[in-house]
Amino acid sequence: MSGKLLSVRNLEIAFRSGGEEIPVVRDLSFDLDHGETLGIVGESGCGKSVTALSLIGLVPNPPGRISKGEILFEGEELVKAGERRLTQVRGNDISMVFQEPMTSLNPVYTIGEQIAETARAHFGLSQSKAWARAVEMLSLVGIPSPDKRAHDYPHQLSGGMRQRVMIAIALVCEPKILIADEPTTALDVTVQAQIFDLFRDLQKKIGAAIILITHDIGVVAQMTDRVLVMYAGRKIEEGPVADFVRDPRHPYTRGLVSCIPRLAMPPDDEPAPLFEIPGVVPAPRELNRPGCAFAPRCASAFGKCRSQDPALHAAGDGRAVACWLETEGNAA
Amino acid sequence: MLNGSVIKLSNAVLLLIAVLILNFALIHVAPGDPVEVLVGEMGGATPEQIADLRAHFGLDRPLYIQIATYLGRVVQGDLGYSLYYDQPVTQLIAGRVGPTLLLVGTALLSAILVCTVLGVFSAQKRRSVLSHLVTVLSLAGFSAPAFWVGIMLILLLSVAIPILPISGMSSSDGAASGVMYVLDVLHHLILPALTLALIYLAFYSRLSRASMLEVLESDYVRTARAKGLPRRLVIYKHALRNAVLPVVTFAGLQFGQVISGAVLVETVFAWPGLGTLAFESILRRDTPTLLGILFFSSVMVVAMNLLTDFLVRRIDPRIKAQ
Repeated sequence: MSGKLLSVRNLEIAFRSGGEEIPVVRDLSFDLDHGETLGIVGESGCGKSVTALSLIGLVPNPPGRISKGEILFEGEELVKAGERRLTQVRGNDISMVFQEPMTSLNPVYTIGEQIAETARAHFGLSQSKAWARAVEMLSLVGIPSPDKRAHDYPHQLSGGMRQRVMIAIALVCEPKILIADEPTTALDVTVQAQIFDLFRDLQKKIGAAIILITHDIGVVAQMTDRVLVMYAGRKIEEGPVADFVRDPRHPYTRGLVSCIPRLAMPPDDEPAPLFEIPGVVPAPRELNRPGCAFAPRCASAFGKCRSQDPALHAAGDGRAVACWLETEGNAA
Repeated sequence: MLNGSVIKLSNAVLLLIAVLILNFALIHVAPGDPVEVLVGEMGGATPEQIADLRAHFGLDRPLYIQIATYLGRVVQGDLGYSLYYDQPVTQLIAGRVGPTLLLVGTALLSAILVCTVLGVFSAQKRRSVLSHLVTVLSLAGFSAPAFWVGIMLILLLSVAIPILPISGMSSSDGAASGVMYVLDVLHHLILPALTLALIYLAFYSRLSRASMLEVLESDYVRTARAKGLPRRLVIYKHALRNAVLPVVTFAGLQFGQVISGAVLVETVFAWPGLGTLAFESILRRDTPTLLGILFFSSVMVVAMNLLTDFLVRRIDPRIKAQ
């Protein structure tokens, strides 16, 4: 077995719709090392969130299921693991912070209780020990007067504070992997920065690997070690973050990176127009046709792009790109 | 908090006064009065005698004075005197309230209990037989009138398979005492309570299923699962407490329906409660009794609403803050 913390192999996730099963994530493979931060980027609807859910066995079923592939956590296969085993893994080995802090906490229990119950479930702590641990976690995630705040209900906290509570819940058992699914999308920009600082701090303290799902390239550049770009349910590029920002290879990645607004004003005082990638991500149902899924929106597409799907192609120092330009790159 | 309770209570009192006045006026509008019925039973009387009787009961005075007099007495705890039963109305109601509370309480509690269980299980397996059964049963329960259900149950469980008594609250010989009496009453309670419970079940099972379905899809239930809580905790701790809220609210607000259902069921099963009393007093034009029962029912409904309010606050901390 390789020493990888997490290894996803040829993952396919399909959703049943109108009598047929439609894959929304296809042939996805990636690895995660101890203490590493991996960014998964892509537009809405490209399969990022469902991939994240699949890692802890929470793909909504029905209608969805993992139809192919394996997920190896420290060498242990999780796709075929039973619910009992997954319950042990969730929150303890792999935990998750969601996109919607406003609705992700249960409105009828105190935040202290919601943290403490996680510790009780996994460590079998007593009521008082678990409560003390909850207060400790609240202070760790930077909530002032944590012993008082622990008695608060979610509605008494702001969005940023609630996300801190979610992080406290996710980290209370010191997991090996923390999955953060667009953790700051619903928050103010200033609060976003605070939350990311918190992630970085806690990662140092706990030593967890982080999978950060986002569509914010700026965040990826700051936070991650390695980036995986998804498009229409497939991995189309992967590599170290510096290469990703400086030298994106796939036309889609290039587009994503160009979408970052630049603050620097050109001399003529006229801000450059924002770049956009024309069109939208195709629906999974439309992907039965041959060729690269991105071809219809790609400015560099040529004949082969519309007839054959490009395979992932190694491009040196841990990079891989799925694009015909890499192998027959003369038509651009 | 204390302030809020005071406001709620005074609102409740005002509401009760309004209900009283309205009841009084409505009954006054209906044709026929107690004197006519009394005279009918006496075998006729001269117009002078009728006028005398009217004057005696204060029926000749203007409506607003009658209402004011009645209100004044109610405040002192006097609901008037029943001409037909020849008893103070308060005594009459006190004698009947026990059986009604027993019936309604049993039916309501068992209905809420059963519907919660049904809701929990059918929502988890929404394509299961149980889930569809809940939908069908609730539709049938909505459509079938209470008295018909009662009669069908009598035909089935008292006539075709005679295991349960047809009517009444205890065996007529009155010989039983102590534990035997209690068992006898419970034996008589089964059918009417079942009939009444079926009506409530129709209301609540659908609601609790829908509410549970919604809650199971919620983000915080996903969080609870992502934390690695065992299924038991996810369902009964995180989902159920939220799902039960609309059911409690609905049950509290619908308490008026509960009472009107009880009138029908009590009548069908000759259950000696407030419902039969109300029914009889309508037939006898026994205005004081009818007014008394209506007033008492509205007190119960208002009390139930206050209780619901209190319960909902206990369950959902968000409401306290508002």
